Amino acid sequence: MTSPYVLLIEDNEDDIELTRRAFARNHIVNDLVVARDGVEASDLLFGGEPDKLLPQFILLDLKLPRVSGLELLERIRGDARTALIPTVILTSSKQDEDLLAGYHLGANSYVRKPVDFNEFVEAVRQVGLYWLVLNQPPPVDKT
Amino acid sequence: MADTRTPDALGPVPLGDVLERITDGIIALDADWRIVYINTRGRELLDARDRPLIGEDYLEAFPRAAETSFVDEYRAAFCEQRPRQFVEHSRTVDRSFEVQVFPSPNGISVYFRDVTERVRAELERTEREGRQDALIQFGRIALGRISTGRLLADALELLMAYIAVPYAEIFLYDARERRYVYGEVAGLGIGIAPRSAPPLTEEALAGLLSGTTMTSLDVREDQRFLDGDTFDRLGTTAALCVPVGTEEGALALMFAYGDAATIGSEANARFAEAIATTLTEALRSKNTRRSNREILESINDAFVACDENLTITYVNERMAAFWQMRAEEIVGKNLEWFSRYSGGAETIAHYKMALLTGKSATFEAFFPERQRWYENRVYPFASGVAGYVRDVTRRKGAEMQIRELNVELERRVRERTHQLELANADLESFAYSVSHDLRAPLRAIDGFSQALEEDYGHHFDREGSRLLGRVRNAATRMAALIDALLDLARIARKPMTYVAVDVSKIAQSVVDDLRRSSPSRDVRVLVESGMGAFGEPALVRACLENLIGNAWKFTRDTPGAEIHVGRAAPGEFFVRDNGAGFDMAYANKLFGAFQRLHSVEEFEGTGVGLASVAKIVHRHGGEIRAEGSVGRGATFTFTLPTEAPSKE
Repeated sequence: MTSPYVLLIEDNEDDIELTRRAFARNHIVNDLVVARDGVEASDLLFGGEPDKLLPQFILLDLKLPRVSGLELLERIRGDARTALIPTVILTSSKQDEDLLAGYHLGANSYVRKPVDFNEFVEAVRQVGLYWLVLNQPPPVDKT
Repeated sequence: MADTRTPDALGPVPLGDVLERITDGIIALDADWRIVYINTRGRELLDARDRPLIGEDYLEAFPRAAETSFVDEYRAAFCEQRPRQFVEHSRTVDRSFEVQVFPSPNGISVYFRDVTERVRAELERTEREGRQDALIQFGRIALGRISTGRLLADALELLMAYIAVPYAEIFLYDARERRYVYGEVAGLGIGIAPRSAPPLTEEALAGLLSGTTMTSLDVREDQRFLDGDTFDRLGTTAALCVPVGTEEGALALMFAYGDAATIGSEANARFAEAIATTLTEALRSKNTRRSNREILESINDAFVACDENLTITYVNERMAAFWQMRAEEIVGKNLEWFSRYSGGAETIAHYKMALLTGKSATFEAFFPERQRWYENRVYPFASGVAGYVRDVTRRKGAEMQIRELNVELERRVRERTHQLELANADLESFAYSVSHDLRAPLRAIDGFSQALEEDYGHHFDREGSRLLGRVRNAATRMAALIDALLDLARIARKPMTYVAVDVSKIAQSVVDDLRRSSPSRDVRVLVESGMGAFGEPALVRACLENLIGNAWKFTRDTPGAEIHVGRAAPGEFFVRDNGAGFDMAYANKLFGAFQRLHSVEEFEGTGVGLASVAKIVHRHGGEIRAEGSVGRGATFTFTLPTEAPSKE
């Protein structure tokens, strides 16, 4: 991974394609790297060479095969390398428990995927705008 | 007086007028016991006015004097040459005399005065006191007498000791049966047939039973007596009849038969009445004791009474049966004797404890030989301790059965709860799954429909675009239905916490939200102030959101729309609008999930709102009802608790 990218952790191919489409509609040019479950995402984030480039922000679905989204979030926040990466929960669930658990574990935002695609595009637009454009990312430790 | 009459002055001869005027009788004897002088008063007192007397031998003139102490006294005075004084009853004239004897070497001078009345009064007083003492003594004995027969015999004995009658009788009387129950006789009652009823006329008996003593001085002539002749044979002519009893009724009748003088004596009558009074008390106390005893015999519990040394003083029949002995065998034994039975020692310890502490105790004991449970209640009293024993085997059995049933019930409740918890967990995961997995395809349907339109829209004519729009609308609507269903499930699952909620404030806040979301609407809303209730705030809010939201929605086409949120009674609230209303015929369908009385085109909605409201109200233990008519608005009235329900 050599250019700045966004990590989408999502197992539903439809949602993956819709998200790509929403990115395109919002003219977000950053690469969208997809991990299909928590294990794959872990490998991507924590495996490989220590110097690799980490995502600018993470879009995280909660309902994932094998390692769930919340477990993964816990691991992301527990690891010094990934602890500061903005992570947005992007999920179908609007259950209070999920919301609470997500925020407790340090999610930066919680976005519910609307059924209406236009709304979905708008949600992606706002998230992307905020986390890619407006937000000042934490300083990268170059030492 | 004695000082002025010296023996010398009273020389035998000559005697002056002075002596004649003295009110005492005077008689002078010479050394040979010849009468040398007697004054007129003396002759009167000795009933010897016309006899010569002078010169006669004293003992020949008054021979009966020898039967009494007169002669001894005179002789003593003369021999000792000292004056003497005494009181003696004269058999010669049947009078009592107080006598002073003055001796001289020539003989004696005797002064005597009649003190018959004084002596009689003295005697009566002594007798009266004797009677009183005897009565008190009788009272003491009577209250302790166990045998009624002995008690009646005691009373008769006392009566005849102080009233000189040859025959007396006393009978317990049953006023209801109008006959004698039991009797005692004393004296010379030989030849008198045993009685079964009083020998009196109805009228006389009635008087007697009313509590009045009756005296008859001649029973043969007395019309009140039925068989006066019987007593004639005993030589008795008079009868004294005394009722024994109280104002409430006679317990017994006491009769004394004797001569008219004895029966006619007022003092005797009073004494007989006093005996009757004492007897009444004794009989009544016996009755009380007997009824106590009857109670103890009739109760279902076995009963034992012990004195302070635990010596058994009384057991009822059931207690005797309990020990499989006769009551007489048990009374007198010490309670310790029963410690030989298993369970006995423990029981006795409780009795001792009760005696020691003065506190009553209840305990249960199991007797293995009998395979029975007994409940003991031990009550200490002033001079001992009493115990009641009851067989509670059946109750214990029932208790144990209940305990076993409870254990079984608890086990089943736990099992059921576990099953419910599993079912609930299933439901949770179901809801989760619905929330996630049903929505994702909907999103795909909507998203790709739009992608199709965006990327290939130029291939569609207007109809093609409209159909694609309908696909997307359906997907959105299904998503709304899923959300509503999830909300309803959440309401059913939400844990209840009861706090004071300000219904007015919540309603106002809901209205404010509605005004913000549709600023173009012109609705007059009245929310009464000060409405309070107890409930789960989030649910109460959801309830009001639905009801007021409905009112808001269904007044959309109503000119001069009005919504009124108010209180009909404490804890009873209503939301009223003047909107579209509904047909009362379908009122029962209002609160069912997914039931709608309007088409989606007319008024949007999922049909879950009122079902949620009903669910919320029911979860608060309240009721909800709807009234309305088509085109004339609707009123929803619901109740909420006015106080926090108790923990149970």
